[in-house]
Amino acid sequence: MAQAEKSAERGTGELLTVNMGPQHPSTHGVLRLELVLDGEVVVHCRPVIGYLHTGIEKTFEAKSYIQGVVLTDRMDYLNPLGNNLAYALSIEKLIGCEIPERATVLRVLLAELTRVASHLMFVGSMALDLGASSPFLYCWREREHILDFFETISGVRMMTSFIRPGGLVRDVQPEVLSAVSAFLETMPGHIDEYEELLTANPIFRERTEGVGILSADDALALGVTGPTLRGSGVALDLRKANPYCGYEGYDFGVPTGTHGDCYDRYLVRVAEMRESVAICRQALDRMPVGSVRTSDRKVMPPPREELAKSMEAVIHHFKLWTEGICPPAGEAYVGVESPRGELGFYVVSDGSGRPVRVHERAPSFANLQSLPKITEGGAVADVVACIASLDPIMGEVDR
Amino acid sequence: MTVSDTLLEAFGADAIATPADLIPTIQVPLGSIEAAVARVQKEFGYTRFVDLTAVDLLSREERFELVYLFYSLDSNAWIRLKTRTDQQAPSITPSVPGANWYEREVFDLFGIEFVGHPGLTRIMLPDDWQGYPLRRTEPLGSEPVDFTVTRKVYGTG
Repeated sequence: MAQAEKSAERGTGELLTVNMGPQHPSTHGVLRLELVLDGEVVVHCRPVIGYLHTGIEKTFEAKSYIQGVVLTDRMDYLNPLGNNLAYALSIEKLIGCEIPERATVLRVLLAELTRVASHLMFVGSMALDLGASSPFLYCWREREHILDFFETISGVRMMTSFIRPGGLVRDVQPEVLSAVSAFLETMPGHIDEYEELLTANPIFRERTEGVGILSADDALALGVTGPTLRGSGVALDLRKANPYCGYEGYDFGVPTGTHGDCYDRYLVRVAEMRESVAICRQALDRMPVGSVRTSDRKVMPPPREELAKSMEAVIHHFKLWTEGICPPAGEAYVGVESPRGELGFYVVSDGSGRPVRVHERAPSFANLQSLPKITEGGAVADVVACIASLDPIMGEVDR
Repeated sequence: MTVSDTLLEAFGADAIATPADLIPTIQVPLGSIEAAVARVQKEFGYTRFVDLTAVDLLSREERFELVYLFYSLDSNAWIRLKTRTDQQAPSITPSVPGANWYEREVFDLFGIEFVGHPGLTRIMLPDDWQGYPLRRTEPLGSEPVDFTVTRKVYGTG
């Protein structure tokens, strides 16, 4: 943090405690920091969380497995489809049901679109936190397109609950897929636009380069994952390391940083957007035809037309909407790569229609633990850049 | 020999069957959890701490199950350690800094005390909160929504 030392005025040694947040525009929700300052230098930083705690994990225990999907949207609200996916994968692991190929490819497409939308939000809000307000508007322009797709397919812009145990809610219309395809054509050009505004911008670089350095060892020790870990040079991406949804069949790179500073974390995310666009294109190219729901009637209800013809279908329908899914007793955890890092739901079942325990391994929760490490010793003005570069979502930190 | 076999041998009779997610799971006695974590991290290379949570099994003795998850960057695999406790557990935060907030969360929501933790305070709930909400004996709780039509039902006005 040499740069910070230079620019920051060390005080007289008289310490001042400053409370930052929870209502502060750069805390991305309701994060509170207790800062102990010596002049402009942060001596001690203590994050205080819990302002958004809504007992989601407790609520899970009173809901059926299908109702639980709705709660996952609300944890990381910038990555709703990714959360749906992680939750669905855990439950499918418990049940051991097969997902049709089309559903798997659509899941990859939707998860990657969500990743792009989430990183757009990151680039926009990080720039905004550092005083550049125009990139935010451009990022939101493209994010809006992605949310429009989500609205067309699911009826909701953000809280889609579209990926469910057993597949998808319904098929995605071909018109949407061609619209996505057209959008993906323009996206690399848009990413160039943001990069033109930020990547070489001397003010942006001054505020981020050499600021908030997190070494690879510290990052691993603190449980940091995702782009924040990759910014520190560790090429761990669960899509590559432990592929799910057939990610092993897609061609994409894992961008990493070298210095572990805020600038590297920014660069990693911008590069990831390009990789995600490439994955989306590959998913569209290989889009198979067929059903998007598993044929396991204990997981997904039978199609409407079967109800008039088959008594068994009526029974399945009735059981599923009264008891819900009843996975066999056991536990499952499936780690997926969310835009923020390793996300996974640890689901414990006792064989009934309600889970015993659903625990979310939230990437932001672990990532936020590194905040004292990267802010202490730096200037108080850089705290904002450090928070922004971690991209925490308080919804999943506090749950 | 697979990692799983090595672990089975190393941990002897305490190893248990692989669950649905195929993550090797080892049950260790409460007293040796620190040693087991150190072994898993240093000897077997599962260096990255991933997750720690608890499950309330509602049993008369050893009511809570602590579930630790680690990840190996060499073999790209997870490993799960489990231990049972009633009230207290040794803290692994001194050797695994990443477990700090996770232990605070389990303390906050389950009331399990981690002995040796550097700052074991409530993390999600207010400091003066009574009770431990994720225990299954805690009622879910609800707040009647104030609609004019429901006031008579709940007697709220």
